[in-house]
Amino acid sequence: MYEIIVIGGGASGLAAAISAKKANKKVLLIEREHSLGGILNQCIHNGFGLEVFKEEYTGPEYAYKYIEEFNDLNIDYLTDTTAMNLVKRDNIYTVSVSSVKNGLLDYECEAIIISSGCYERTRGQIIMPGDRPNGVITAGSAQRYLNINGYLVGKRVFILGSGDIGLIMARRMHLEGAEVLGVAEIMPYSNGLTRNIVQCLNDFEIPLYLSHTVTNVISDEFKRLKSIVIQAVDENFNPIEGTQKAFDVDTLLLSIGLIPDITLLDDLSVEVDPKTKSAKINQAYETSVEGLFICGNSLQVHDLVDNVSKESERAGRCAAMYLDKVIKTRKKINIVPKKNILFVTPQFIDFGWEFTDLIVSFRANKKIEKALLKISQNEKVIFQKRLFFVVPAEMETVSFPYKDLDKESDLVIELEEL
Amino acid sequence: MYDYIVIGAGVIGSAIARELARYEAKTLVLEKENDVANVQSLANSAIIHSGHNPTPNSLKAILAVKGNKLYDEMEKELDIPLLRTGAYVIAHNEAEEKVLEELTETTRMNGVSEYALIDYETAKISEPNLASSITKVLSLPTTKVTYPWEVAFACMENAVMNGVEFRKNCEVTDIVTTDSGFLVKVNKRDIIKTKYIINAAGVCTDDIAKMVEREVPYKIQGRIGEYYVLDKRVKGFANHVLYPLPTELGKGVLITPQYHGEILLGPNSKTVDNKHHPSTSFEGLKYVKENAALLADNIPFNQIIRSFAGIRSSADVEDFYIKESKEVKGFYHLGAIESPGLTAMFAIAKYLLDDIIKISQKYSLKTDFNPYRKKPLKFNTLSLEDKKQLIAKDPLYANLICKCEKITEREILNAMHGVLGSDTIKGIKKRTRAGAGLCQGGYCEEKVMKLIAREFNKSPLEISYDLNETKLFVEETKVKKNV
Amino acid sequence: MSKEFICIVCPRGCHIHVDKDMNITGNQCKRGIDYVRTEMTAPKRTLTTTVRTIFEDIPRVSVKTDKPIAKELIYQAMKEINEVLVKKRLRIGDVIIPEILDTDVNIVITKSMELEGYQ
Repeated sequence: MYEIIVIGGGASGLAAAISAKKANKKVLLIEREHSLGGILNQCIHNGFGLEVFKEEYTGPEYAYKYIEEFNDLNIDYLTDTTAMNLVKRDNIYTVSVSSVKNGLLDYECEAIIISSGCYERTRGQIIMPGDRPNGVITAGSAQRYLNINGYLVGKRVFILGSGDIGLIMARRMHLEGAEVLGVAEIMPYSNGLTRNIVQCLNDFEIPLYLSHTVTNVISDEFKRLKSIVIQAVDENFNPIEGTQKAFDVDTLLLSIGLIPDITLLDDLSVEVDPKTKSAKINQAYETSVEGLFICGNSLQVHDLVDNVSKESERAGRCAAMYLDKVIKTRKKINIVPKKNILFVTPQFIDFGWEFTDLIVSFRANKKIEKALLKISQNEKVIFQKRLFFVVPAEMETVSFPYKDLDKESDLVIELEEL
Repeated sequence: MYDYIVIGAGVIGSAIARELARYEAKTLVLEKENDVANVQSLANSAIIHSGHNPTPNSLKAILAVKGNKLYDEMEKELDIPLLRTGAYVIAHNEAEEKVLEELTETTRMNGVSEYALIDYETAKISEPNLASSITKVLSLPTTKVTYPWEVAFACMENAVMNGVEFRKNCEVTDIVTTDSGFLVKVNKRDIIKTKYIINAAGVCTDDIAKMVEREVPYKIQGRIGEYYVLDKRVKGFANHVLYPLPTELGKGVLITPQYHGEILLGPNSKTVDNKHHPSTSFEGLKYVKENAALLADNIPFNQIIRSFAGIRSSADVEDFYIKESKEVKGFYHLGAIESPGLTAMFAIAKYLLDDIIKISQKYSLKTDFNPYRKKPLKFNTLSLEDKKQLIAKDPLYANLICKCEKITEREILNAMHGVLGSDTIKGIKKRTRAGAGLCQGGYCEEKVMKLIAREFNKSPLEISYDLNETKLFVEETKVKKNV
Repeated sequence: MSKEFICIVCPRGCHIHVDKDMNITGNQCKRGIDYVRTEMTAPKRTLTTTVRTIFEDIPRVSVKTDKPIAKELIYQAMKEINEVLVKKRLRIGDVIIPEILDTDVNIVITKSMELEGYQ
């Protein structure tokens, strides 16, 4: 029997499995696709690894660094294997998997690490009025078809959403021969890294329409996309009459957000945070169900894979610690996001886990040039830090020592505008 | 030369084809889309109404009540999905309660076998999220929910297995009346001879009729109905179909539990000029949200996975127009089939054949007609033991293609190569639900695409999402184009 | 004449200002200065793309320029890279086009093409 099973063999799962194995635990990793590496396999652009390796890598190269270490440690793993079900009984987890090679099998373990990444928000989940022709597709799907299979989904492209995936695909489609007519972004600022605005849009004179969104989708007689209309929006994101701009395109790429994939948790009653759309965790990446850990994009959508790796490495160590039964009496307090904080992880502190430092990640809910981060308990500030150019598009992580906290009162985290 | 050509393979055309299949009549069904049930039958509320609100003694009333009952029989013969939800029509105050009472009288007059007026407290017991502003409810236990294109598939599969011919991508572009029947021109090119024509062309029935008659007895406009779909994780939020009081616009915005666990909110009702372009709108979807909130409290709007719009026929005549043409013998109208068309479909088919065509006077029954059709296996519903046994014989049942709906490779292959097979992404989605779940194809569309390429020996460039003319990809990169 | 740049060397994206006397401010590290100087005289970019292979299991393999290439050569470089057909299973770092377009830049493989995942 395994001690820890890791669900997902992308950046997160690989890092978690490696650190759990290094802590001498029996680890099994389960991956649905044929190869390890996850989404990194289709992220052929560079920008990965500057923090972890002090070198700039493309996605596949970054993945390979972890895959090599993973293989060197001889960690057991299954590919082409889908985890179907996860249940817990008497402190034992059972993962049911399905694969052509082995049929239906159950694996038991004492701790689970969920590293199942996220899926893309689709048109259906936002209100985008108009026809429903072929040609409206998520940027990640278009990226996979282009970079893995070698097919262009369209020749005249418009992109909704200026997050990195949208910007990267603007450049990519353009270089492979498509005309990219523009990128629309509903916020008044771009979501993606500024360097990507330069090297994906400015370099190719692709216009960026801030504070705009798509308000109509028009189909041709063969149910193919023919044109779209974008409009400027006001501060409440309502379209402004008279600002319509039409574009003749055959493809609309959607880069409108990622949603953590926690479908495997359906049969376990984990507490879910509607703001992160994932399970709530304590400072050890443990959900409200003991021994169930979650990290990477399936915990919270990250901006840099380096942070996914660091977070998942910690989660792997925590899962190993859980097996060593070093957790003392469990006692929980909440970390409550308040002023200008969109969400915070962890959402709990469990005093059973004795760490010296608390690592907290959060996103601001608006752009703040000069901010003061304050973490308090009972109105007393226990940690504060000045931050500059805080934006919702960049998740911030701070670390500070914590001891002698009141075990009965919640912590409050807020951002003050200076 | 055919005996009957049925134009249109929506629920009505499919039900008629299946009834015709009982007789020694050579029947051909022509469908202009790339699949059965691709227009009206694809995008509606999926409700089998009780027959509570059509005008008494109208065809709509008579055939709705008959049709509702026939579903029980058809469930056994054709193995169609039925969810026995029952329904509540709701009133919020005294004035509305008066209308509800009138509606109850209509229900009684239409011969609906089960109905009852109950108060809010009683209704709430089996419908805990019922809006607290509701005072009284008309309970209609015979209301059911189905999956409309599965019903159409079931009928057409059974028809084909019993000798009916089905051709998709065949648009009727002209009809010439002759002494012995009709010459039907398809795709502006092919000519097919037939004795009789059954016009079940949905929104296009008046256009088809125009090819044959000088004065078509009805005009069909399009009416858009917009819907939200809530993910199946909200299953149990509503147990009944919830109706507001009906108005001239129709039955109103409803909350409808779906067979596969999702919940539909909608539709609104908007008459449009272009009856071929179902599109959603800001105002329409806002209207749906606002009006759904009148039926239930705490609707989990954050679980919306998609929205869609369906086109419905809106005719300028009050009732179903199911008659032989007054001008041309042998041409049969299934005109103005709006709601409750899905409810009445089996009764409509029988009415057409028995009362209008009087078919038993023309053709004899087949002795070898097999009324039974089994629905495709849904692997995930089997017990663990059955699953393992099946996998031992066929390992492709262990290859999970659609993670969200748990659909396996073998199920997809069956859908591709079945009696009514499909080689499009949408066709596979309709038959198996692969791509219809939480991630809407994000994980599995590529896998389905590769299976289509392999099974039909096609290049990915030849694969369509729906219509043949519209491909998934525009070009393969880095390949020299043929000069 | 003063100019504004956004450095693209690392994800920080420093806003760098160059005044008319060529004074450079706003960078948080030395690489920013080099970037801005190059950007003003001979801008360079790293190109990442894919090449075609003969292998069914990996029909496209990702590649990159092993150092930044002159920005004005990007389209030509794409054309040359698109002519390549990889016929062997290569490893990360293998060169498929040495000294592309007579520069000192090589096009190298960035994904391992070994069979069977990494089993």
